Amino acid sequence: MKKLSELEKDAEGVITSINGDRRFISRVTSIGLTPGCMVRIIKNEKNRPLLVYSRDTMIALNRKECNLIEVDGGARA
Amino acid sequence: MTDKNETVIALLGQPNSGKSTLFNALTGLRQHVGNWPGKTVEKKEGTFKHNGTDYLVADLPGTYSLSANSDEEMITRDYIASGKADVVCILADSSQLERSLYMLADFAGVTVPCFLVLNMSDVAAEQGKNIKVKELEKKLGIPVILISATDTKAYDRFYQALELAVKGKTVLDPGALEKRYEEIGAYGKVRQIIPDGVIPGYSKTWLAAKAIEKDEPVIAKITEKLSAGDKKLLQSALSEVDKGVVLTGERKFAWIDEFLSGIVEKKKTQISLGKFDRIITHRVWGKPVVILTVLLGLVASFIPALPLMGIGQLIGKIPDPLNEALLNIGCPAFIAALLCDVLIRSLSFIVQMLGFVFGVTLVFGLLEEVGVMARISYVFDNTMAKFGLQGKSVMPFLISFGCTMGGAAGTRVIDSWGQKVLTIALAWAVPCGAAWAVIPMLSTIFFGAWMPVIILVILLVMLLHMWITAKIFGRSLVKKEDRYGMIMELPPYHKPKWGALFRYVFGRTKDTFIRALKVVVVVALAFWLLSYTSTGDITNSILYKVGHFIEPVTKIFGMGWQTFMAFIASSLGKEGALGVLSTIFTGSGTISVGALVSGARAENINEILVNNIAKPEALAFIFAMTFNMPCIVALAATYQETHSVKWTARIALYYTGMALVLAGIAYYIGLLIW
Repeated sequence: MKKLSELEKDAEGVITSINGDRRFISRVTSIGLTPGCMVRIIKNEKNRPLLVYSRDTMIALNRKECNLIEVDGGARA
Repeated sequence: MTDKNETVIALLGQPNSGKSTLFNALTGLRQHVGNWPGKTVEKKEGTFKHNGTDYLVADLPGTYSLSANSDEEMITRDYIASGKADVVCILADSSQLERSLYMLADFAGVTVPCFLVLNMSDVAAEQGKNIKVKELEKKLGIPVILISATDTKAYDRFYQALELAVKGKTVLDPGALEKRYEEIGAYGKVRQIIPDGVIPGYSKTWLAAKAIEKDEPVIAKITEKLSAGDKKLLQSALSEVDKGVVLTGERKFAWIDEFLSGIVEKKKTQISLGKFDRIITHRVWGKPVVILTVLLGLVASFIPALPLMGIGQLIGKIPDPLNEALLNIGCPAFIAALLCDVLIRSLSFIVQMLGFVFGVTLVFGLLEEVGVMARISYVFDNTMAKFGLQGKSVMPFLISFGCTMGGAAGTRVIDSWGQKVLTIALAWAVPCGAAWAVIPMLSTIFFGAWMPVIILVILLVMLLHMWITAKIFGRSLVKKEDRYGMIMELPPYHKPKWGALFRYVFGRTKDTFIRALKVVVVVALAFWLLSYTSTGDITNSILYKVGHFIEPVTKIFGMGWQTFMAFIASSLGKEGALGVLSTIFTGSGTISVGALVSGARAENINEILVNNIAKPEALAFIFAMTFNMPCIVALAATYQETHSVKWTARIALYYTGMALVLAGIAYYIGLLIW
């Protein structure tokens, strides 16, 4: 199990859990990230939001909050 | 149904679902923009007529879900509960169907008739997706249409679906979704306890799911209607639930996947960033590219702006000959001056600025619609987060170097009202083009080769000013709980709908014009009356008397009555600051908006200034003028964008005070140096 922010560029993983307060979980869920869903890292660079691709959507996520999302897998596709 | 017998359609959709495009295309210029009662969220309504029926369209705030996380979401929910809407039009992006149907899933269980619009069919087609709309319609039991809001022919289908939904009262059946909710242990228990009629328009299915999500307003509403025993039962049922939003969320998407299976055919596509995206998201090049994009946008804004600027200048040529003609036919000088100097010159001033507002709204509205703005937000997210703002705010700041009014107009792409007001408040600190025309000149006259240093200091003070202003206003405008990091979709690029965009831009420009005209005429009239003298000797004016009277106070800030008057005048428009100084020191004529715009000044202005103003006072004046309120038109635009007299006044007073404080500091530092 890894944190989403630990995945490298082009890696793919499946979300296993989402932590944080209700507001955060609600926001992340409504943009399509739920446990069991596949994410692919498009860009992961310091001092920038993470760019991930999931459910046909490019999503920018704050780095710090990516620590609250855990994923399985993480091999480069 | 409204009391005017209009059928009410509420537009519901996530940001980037093309909701505004649809709204603009449907209602055109028949729009009204205000605030939701008691809330700081923009309310947009418009009307249209089709087949003899009048419709009122309520553009609900763009939200990602129907939870209770923000004012926007609460407004949306309350609006649906109010029973005002006859039908809800739910929008989804057909290029990202699965994700964007979350809103539909969150809506399931609401008993208001609805229909589904799958927008952006062109983008989906480009991605090789084929959506079987008829089958989807059968599965959901509500009208479903696939359109591209940019395609005018698509609207016939929209009207058909609309009429079908209104006549047939088509309600979304949440049965299949509820079966999935029932897998959550506590769901059945909670649903059983819920009494009838907790919130009109919301079924027990919806209420129970929200209760599982620990939605406080819903739980409170349910609890109100329960006996003491049931309250305990509800509490104990809910206490078993951990992370309810995840539980229901997983099931909502499972339901979506279920009904979408066999509906969307797609070719396997390679996911990668496009060429422009690779550059704009680049670690090194991203920021320069964004700044370049905004600057190019600024230049492009001038193209549609130029004709209006020309017209404005032509209007500015009317007053002199007209004044003379009026005097010749025996019109009282006072009335002639009022008409020419106040009314026509104000008009000329506004029309010139309006061109810029038009250009900025058009160009940056276009960038927003095409999808570039979301990228700008991404690139500047970390930087702007320091001010409590989203990345998009960088754009109004850059525009404000040209014109603050354009910057204010540019904040329209910021979706949170608090962040929008804060962005405008900070943008005021950015010296505008008019100030930049005066600063280098005054600095050279008084400080010669030190001019670049003064400009550098002004830029540093600007950053400091913005930081302080963000601290002062940020607390109440952008609440702490709203300051979570970026969670945003980068939408696929799509073609703009020119017709709808132009109608929107014309509508907003017209609104700005009317509002600006009111403010400018009132302020210009007041100022003109204060500076009016029948003899042409400025010492007879009220302005002089007041200025002289309060000089002991203004001296604290380093300014004598003359520079202080010029400072006050510069809050109307900075380009005329030198003209006003010239008028005062040569003692000729009145200070009017006309004098400000034309900026007429004596030939030997440099000499006059150097002889009359000491260096510390000059420094104080430069700072006071630079950080003063940008101009009256910017004030009017701020009011137009914020819809708040309170915040407009607060920002204006704050800037006047802050300018004086900065002037005072500059003055005392000046005294130490010289």
